[in-house]
Amino acid sequence: MCKATFIIIEKSYLIRKGLISIIEKIPNTQVIQQFDNEDDLKILVNFESDFIIINPNLLNANTLEIIKKIAKNIQLISLSEKSIVLTKELEWTAQIYLEDTQNSILKKLNTLIGNRETKNVKSEVPEEISKREIDILKNIALGYSNKEIADKLFISTHTVVTHRKNITRKLGIKTVPGLTIYAILNKIIDINDTGKSKS
Amino acid sequence: MADVIHTNYFTLSVLNRFGIELGFGDKSVEEVCKKNNVDVDFFLEIVNAFIDKDYFPKKHLQTFPVKLITDYLQKTHDYYHKLKVPEIENLIEEMVDSCYTQKENIVLLKKFFNDYKQELLNHTHREEEVVFPYTLALEKAYNSEELDNSVIELMDTYSIEIFQNEHDDIEEKLLDLRNIIIKYLPQPKNSKLCNKLLYELFNLEQDINDHSRIEEKVLVPKIREMEKIITKRFTKK
Repeated sequence: MCKATFIIIEKSYLIRKGLISIIEKIPNTQVIQQFDNEDDLKILVNFESDFIIINPNLLNANTLEIIKKIAKNIQLISLSEKSIVLTKELEWTAQIYLEDTQNSILKKLNTLIGNRETKNVKSEVPEEISKREIDILKNIALGYSNKEIADKLFISTHTVVTHRKNITRKLGIKTVPGLTIYAILNKIIDINDTGKSKS
Repeated sequence: MADVIHTNYFTLSVLNRFGIELGFGDKSVEEVCKKNNVDVDFFLEIVNAFIDKDYFPKKHLQTFPVKLITDYLQKTHDYYHKLKVPEIENLIEEMVDSCYTQKENIVLLKKFFNDYKQELLNHTHREEEVVFPYTLALEKAYNSEELDNSVIELMDTYSIEIFQNEHDDIEEKLLDLRNIIIKYLPQPKNSKLCNKLLYELFNLEQDINDHSRIEEKVLVPKIREMEKIITKRFTKK
């Protein structure tokens, strides 16, 4: 599991320190950078981080542009009094209020980190190979070309190529002989069937 | 020199390729290289690139003579065919013999590797017969003062571009084989053999990777540069 990383942008030293000490209570987190004024934000693009916690009062025309640019990959969290109205130009994932108790801040952050993890895990779980893909795989293993498979199954060659790519991604096997062995091991084809189409 | 091996025992195979034998006592790398007529700089760059994936001084490597580079590549070919491939074949053979429950599966692996061996053989053979002689002839022309028309004829029939285009990914099948054994092969009783085989496959794959890297990032750019300069010389004339 990789660390959840934070960038904090806030003028007040006390508030920054306080927030950092709360974040560090959560295992596997790290505050990689802190800024105390809007002028330095240009270098923000050089950092990769999961979250940015920013005081919306520090947003001006320039900083807004910078944040917009990087916000595609980073989740934004506001840090302000409850009464502050957030700009609609940015997409905020969460709000932390200065009035919040430690527990409610921890709760908010934990939820965010939790969401991030389930998202990551999901993409890493190997997907099962589908029925259609098994059909395609069978034909590949039997020695048919993309064109032949397309004609046989009444689909376009392009679709066959897409299926092949997905099969390779799911199985981790790229070459035809490799796929053939997989097909035999999994009884998708019989060992005596191989190379029939070529003869 | 002993420290080199102590640091990373994979270097043993590289030493072997340079014809350096063990038993060199406390001699330094430089002393051992001198004694074996090995270019120290070249040896160091090759060894370092071999053990450290992130270290690859391609600009520096390109400055070495073609002969040094092709000789080294040639020796790695020998190493594959005379040592590594037979070793893997023996292991697979042993697996076939010791397995009763799924002999047919192991026989599949054997066939797969056999085809691969043939592919590797064709691949290296073509390099030795066509590519290396071409690069050497080109270097000779490059270094000589006279303009010899035969080199232009040679460049008409072949160019390093052709090599680069037909230089297929020879490691792909090894990766497949590895994945099949790790993920999909019903595990034979004799897992010791299976692990040994995997270890050898990893080893060979890594070595071939290093080998291809030298070809593609050192030899090809170097020759392409020479081709350009030679063509220029002729157009000037």
